Amino acid sequence: MEPGKKRTKDDTWKADDLRRQLWAVQSGHPREDKKLREKKLHKESEVASLEYREHRSKDPDRDVRRRERVAERDPQTSMENPHGERDHEKHRERRKDVKYREKDKLKERHREQDPEKSHSRGKDKEKEKEKDRKVRKEELKQTTAYHNLLVREGRGRQLLERAEKKVRAASKARTEEKERRDEDSERGDEERERRYRERKLQYGDNKENPLSYWLYKEDERKHRKPRETDQEKRYQEKSSTREKREKHSKEKGNSFSDKEGEERHRIKRHKEGFHLEEGRRSHRDKKERSSKEEHKKREQKEIEKEDTDLETAGADDYSASFEDDFEDYEDDFEVCDGDDDSNNEPDSQGKTEELPLAQKREIQEIQKAINAENERVGELSSKMFQKQGRMEYEQEPQADANTSPSRTPVCGIFVDFATASHRQKSRSQAIKQKTRSTKLLRLIDLDFSFTFSVLDLPPVNEYDMYIRNFGKKNTKQAYVQYNEDSVDRDIQTEDIETREVWTQHPGESAIVSGGNEERDFSDATVVPRIDTPRLSSFLRAACQVIAVLLEEDRLAAGPSWNPHCQDSTLSISDSSSQLNTSLPFLQNRKVSCLHASRVQRHTVVSVHDLPEKRFSQSLDSRHLLCVWDIWQPSGPQKVLICESKVTCCCFSPFKAFLLFAGTVHGSVVVWDLREDSRIHQYVRLSDCFWTFRTPTFSTDGILTSVNHRSPLQAIESVSTSVYKKQSFVLSPFSTEEEMAGLSFHIASLDNGGVLNVWVVVELPKADISGSMSDLGLLPGGRIKLVHSAVIRLDDSLSHKGTEFWGSPQTLSVKFLPSDPNHFVVGTDIGLISHGTRQDWKVSPKLFKPQQHGIRPVKVNVIDFSPFGEPIFLAGCSDGSIRLHQLTCERPLVQWDSSTNGRAVISLQWSPTRPALFLVQDESSSIYIWDLLENDLAPVAKQPICPDRDAHPGGLKTLLETVDS
Amino acid sequence: MAKSIGVSFSMGASEGGLDADKNTGELENTYILRPIFQQRFRPSVVKGCIHAVLKEELENAEYSPEEMPQLTKRLSETIKDKLKELGYDRYKMVVQVVIGEQRGEGVFMAARCFWDADTDNYTHDIFMNDTLFCVVAAFGCFYY
Repeated sequence: MEPGKKRTKDDTWKADDLRRQLWAVQSGHPREDKKLREKKLHKESEVASLEYREHRSKDPDRDVRRRERVAERDPQTSMENPHGERDHEKHRERRKDVKYREKDKLKERHREQDPEKSHSRGKDKEKEKEKDRKVRKEELKQTTAYHNLLVREGRGRQLLERAEKKVRAASKARTEEKERRDEDSERGDEERERRYRERKLQYGDNKENPLSYWLYKEDERKHRKPRETDQEKRYQEKSSTREKREKHSKEKGNSFSDKEGEERHRIKRHKEGFHLEEGRRSHRDKKERSSKEEHKKREQKEIEKEDTDLETAGADDYSASFEDDFEDYEDDFEVCDGDDDSNNEPDSQGKTEELPLAQKREIQEIQKAINAENERVGELSSKMFQKQGRMEYEQEPQADANTSPSRTPVCGIFVDFATASHRQKSRSQAIKQKTRSTKLLRLIDLDFSFTFSVLDLPPVNEYDMYIRNFGKKNTKQAYVQYNEDSVDRDIQTEDIETREVWTQHPGESAIVSGGNEERDFSDATVVPRIDTPRLSSFLRAACQVIAVLLEEDRLAAGPSWNPHCQDSTLSISDSSSQLNTSLPFLQNRKVSCLHASRVQRHTVVSVHDLPEKRFSQSLDSRHLLCVWDIWQPSGPQKVLICESKVTCCCFSPFKAFLLFAGTVHGSVVVWDLREDSRIHQYVRLSDCFWTFRTPTFSTDGILTSVNHRSPLQAIESVSTSVYKKQSFVLSPFSTEEEMAGLSFHIASLDNGGVLNVWVVVELPKADISGSMSDLGLLPGGRIKLVHSAVIRLDDSLSHKGTEFWGSPQTLSVKFLPSDPNHFVVGTDIGLISHGTRQDWKVSPKLFKPQQHGIRPVKVNVIDFSPFGEPIFLAGCSDGSIRLHQLTCERPLVQWDSSTNGRAVISLQWSPTRPALFLVQDESSSIYIWDLLENDLAPVAKQPICPDRDAHPGGLKTLLETVDS
Repeated sequence: MAKSIGVSFSMGASEGGLDADKNTGELENTYILRPIFQQRFRPSVVKGCIHAVLKEELENAEYSPEEMPQLTKRLSETIKDKLKELGYDRYKMVVQVVIGEQRGEGVFMAARCFWDADTDNYTHDIFMNDTLFCVVAAFGCFYY
């Protein structure tokens, strides 16, 4: 601030002193000083005041603070000055900009005023403390009275001060600014007075509650803080911190001494006033107390020392704020320090040296007084302080000091000590930490490490939240997929049902609409599988049965035929029936031949000659054959037509489905009765369709080299049973039945002595368009005959030496049932030739009648016994019947006159009774022979009169029918 | 709607620990600049500790606005005490507990530290149940 201050303390003081002296001369301060001198040790006080003034000039704010603190401690007395000061400050702040130039002058003015104020304040302090103590002692009893007194005192003092100030103001009055300043101060005084009163009232009550009082003080201190910034500025203005330190210590010392000076003044005044005795006592007290308190103080001092050390160590790093704190702290302890500095502190040697001896003496006196006072107060009010809190307890010695009005300021300062010590401690800690941190920060690197993401909770959408909460309510959401793999929508949809429906607007018929529903229905109905062969076979059998039944019904209904038949057949048979040959196409036809199947005995074929009357042009020139079932006599089963006259016929041996016939033209024809009727010609006759079957195969015109050249006399089937070894060679048929049915040969004999053997071949496939190779085969037919062998019999017959009679005619042929290789052939010379198919030598070669010599007797019929006996019957045209044994030339028995000379035309062994046979003669008489009963004559004779019937050919009674 | 809680935590660790060299002045102080290996702040261990505490304390807890302040304080105290037992002698532990209600809002918490990454570390653990989430962040700062 001032350049002088850089020099030694002495110099600065001298400079200040000089300046102050100058001011004093000008403003009348000397008077005040003189007064003070008069009252008490003039020199010391002057020095103290000088110092104090200097201190003030350096740090006016601190003065203010001090003053305020005083005021706080005893508002009654000390309010004027702080208020004044505050007012001043306020004014200053207001006018800061304007008066910035005059700053120095203002400060000088401060310097002027401050000493006065401090003096007055010093007095105030004393009074204040005094009052405090009194209040505490006397408690509420004296409060009001004492207040009045105090007021009076305060007023008195104020008057004095005002007077002084007025005098001063009058004496000054040099510059306008100064005048204004004085007016302000005067005004400030008045204001102070007023506020003081108010506050007194306020805190007079509050004194009862020391805690609240203390709180108030704390508030005050806080208010003070802002002012410290000013202080700070000022410090910064100082040239160096070192100087600052020195000044601080100086200031401390000065201020303390100053204070002591003030105390002294106060003491003086008190002595002058009403507390002289007390003053002395307090002197003693003070001494005692100081000795006590010094102990405490020293501890603090040590801390202070540390602080200063630290300050020196880390002086560069001190921050302004820290300095402030430190200053603050010093302020709090200024009194203590003052004591220490002045009396005991060896560190502040410079100060002590500078302190005059008189001052020391005075300090000691004050200390004594304080000690004495402490003692006294301790005795009086020990009880009262026990009630108070910790803070108060620490302040106990101060309270003791309060008993003496002259010691009040000391005690007030000590109230802050405990907190201050705390603060000091924390501050020292802070300093330590700060140094530590500064040092450490050089060693370590602090950095913002990357940001840690502590929690990242993404917002949950509404549905998830719902689901999260949904599951907690004892409910559950289920996801169902009936077909786990098929999540697509298209797959999940069911098939669309469709239905076709149609309609037609102008309906053509009754049905105008429809749909496929019916079709579906019809589709649904399964077409029954028809086993066609089985059905046809069934139908065939059933038809037959039904037809038979119908036939029987008709026979029973129409008995017209029966009487005739019964009459005619009663003798030899149970019943007989007449085949209906009255059909239109059979009328007028002579039955030339009749043949029954050996196996299917109910099947009969009748051969009809050309009609005698014209019936139909298509049929008149043709010969007819009718296949009958004797159970159905009303009509033929099948009607066959043949171009030439049929002389003989026979059925296939095992099953009568083939019919073989021989013609007068020497041809062999075959009818396959299984053939479909559609491939044959049919004629509608009298509302009935008749199918006229043409031969399936005919040997006419083919095989001319081997074929017969003369009319056929006999045709015989050769059983396969005897041809087992050969049969399968020729048979192309697959089925057993077919093979069995076709494993036979056909032997045909013409009257020229030629015996042909034919093989029946069934073609595997019918050719409807005809065959180029198989001539003679009906288109669509499957049966043909293949020539197998030819046996010429005329040689064997002729070599007999019967040249006389010419070449004999062969009339019939029969194969031995037990050995088909052997056959016998009847001739027209009464001889029967015995031959084999393999030209084996057989004996006898000829079977002769009993009569020797060759006679022109025709052997018409030959029949082997069906029971395996090698015997056969032969019927001759002369009416004789011969029974031959195969091994014997001559017959076993010969019946010559059984028929009365009539030629035997037919002869038949009974198939069931071995000794029974039937014979028919040319007069249509039937003779029944039973050899067991009568071997000489027939047992029965039944003449059949054909003339009775209208049929020209008449009927031949079948032996089989008779037998059964 | 997203609510974000930004916790910015900066700490300058400075503590006057050993001042043995005070009087000698000229000599450099010998500071312990790194923790003993065994006492190094191990996030995994601390995390386990926190997790255990959380599991124990919050197992059946439900969020209620009245109780949460006390709960957070209790949790932080408990965890801090537990961490002290782990023997990180020269560490200053800072435990921060945040409990929030689970209402589907998005929450984002982050921490940023001004410190010496070599010695100081932090860990955090999250506990969640149906009604609340609890985030505990424990910072360990080394005393030099």
